[in-house]
Amino acid sequence: MHEASIVSGLMRILLDHAARHGVRRIASVTVKVGRLRSVEPRALIGCFEVFAEDTIAEGAELLVESVPIRGRCDDCGAEMEIAGFVFRCDRCQGGRITVTSGQELYIDSFEATDALS
Amino acid sequence: MCKECGCDTHGTAPNLSKRIEVIENLLSENDRQALHNREHFDALGVTALNLMSSPGSGKTSLLEATIEALAGEMKIAVIEGDLETENDALRIRRHGVPAVQITTGMACHLDAAMVHDALHDLSLEGIDLLFIENVGNLVCPAGFALGQHADVVLLSVTEGDDKPSKYPVIFRQASRVLITKADLLAHLDDFDPHRAEDAVHRLSADLPIDVLSAKTGAGMAGWLDWLRALRR
Repeated sequence: MHEASIVSGLMRILLDHAARHGVRRIASVTVKVGRLRSVEPRALIGCFEVFAEDTIAEGAELLVESVPIRGRCDDCGAEMEIAGFVFRCDRCQGGRITVTSGQELYIDSFEATDALS
Repeated sequence: MCKECGCDTHGTAPNLSKRIEVIENLLSENDRQALHNREHFDALGVTALNLMSSPGSGKTSLLEATIEALAGEMKIAVIEGDLETENDALRIRRHGVPAVQITTGMACHLDAAMVHDALHDLSLEGIDLLFIENVGNLVCPAGFALGQHADVVLLSVTEGDDKPSKYPVIFRQASRVLITKADLLAHLDDFDPHRAEDAVHRLSADLPIDVLSAKTGAGMAGWLDWLRALRR
């Protein structure tokens, strides 16, 4: 359950940014998660619900946007999406691929609402 | 709009929702700590290796055989990660090598802060190689940088030869893959080392692989030479 470690980092960053902006209530949070991160969205959301309890993010929706794996062939320079974790060039069949996306694991933004509830 | 509390004095619903951009890595704290560990290793001239695998794939046996093979040649220290017990650190210390045990309790992986704490109990003065034996797990350890120079992933022949395809992230990340317990191949008809190698090479075409037995010493030469090359 490494999702718990990840969500504790998320809460620290989220509450820190919220305090800096004087936010009193958080309605939703968007995170980007690359497919090379072995992070399970449902586990992330479940952890977030627990960690957000008794904070200004309680009840907020966690939106997990999955980022596909993309790579560039070191031999011919072709760019491609890596499907099914097979790192092989579509064009020249070369196997040396530099990953250009899919390693993401960051909080993109959050929706703040200052309406009194 | 009322300046005191932000309510709408005209009776319509206030719309004060706003999007705040953050763009910050969720593991930034761990990454910072890992960088700090790395600086510590580099300052002392220590090469740190993160050993990862399923439970029971022979990480500690590999370390014992490696320590014996490199005795008098390189000074080794070990950090052991397990949920419970000092057993692995005790095994290592029997070979005259300093070892610190991290017991993670419920945590399924080591993180940079745990390694940093362990370093307080381990003198790295004069050490060439530091092995960090991660918690046996093919998922979670891959996500947490420790400050290591290289990742080594073990796959024992008693596991399936399709395991690299089932757990692609950790094998893709490896600097070297070791297929261990090769002495048992004679008794197994369902593990084909070539299939395992193909599965690894679908993830990373040039990834070096050794098929070895810590028990008999067969196939250890490539691994030991790689360790020597890391120190050059």
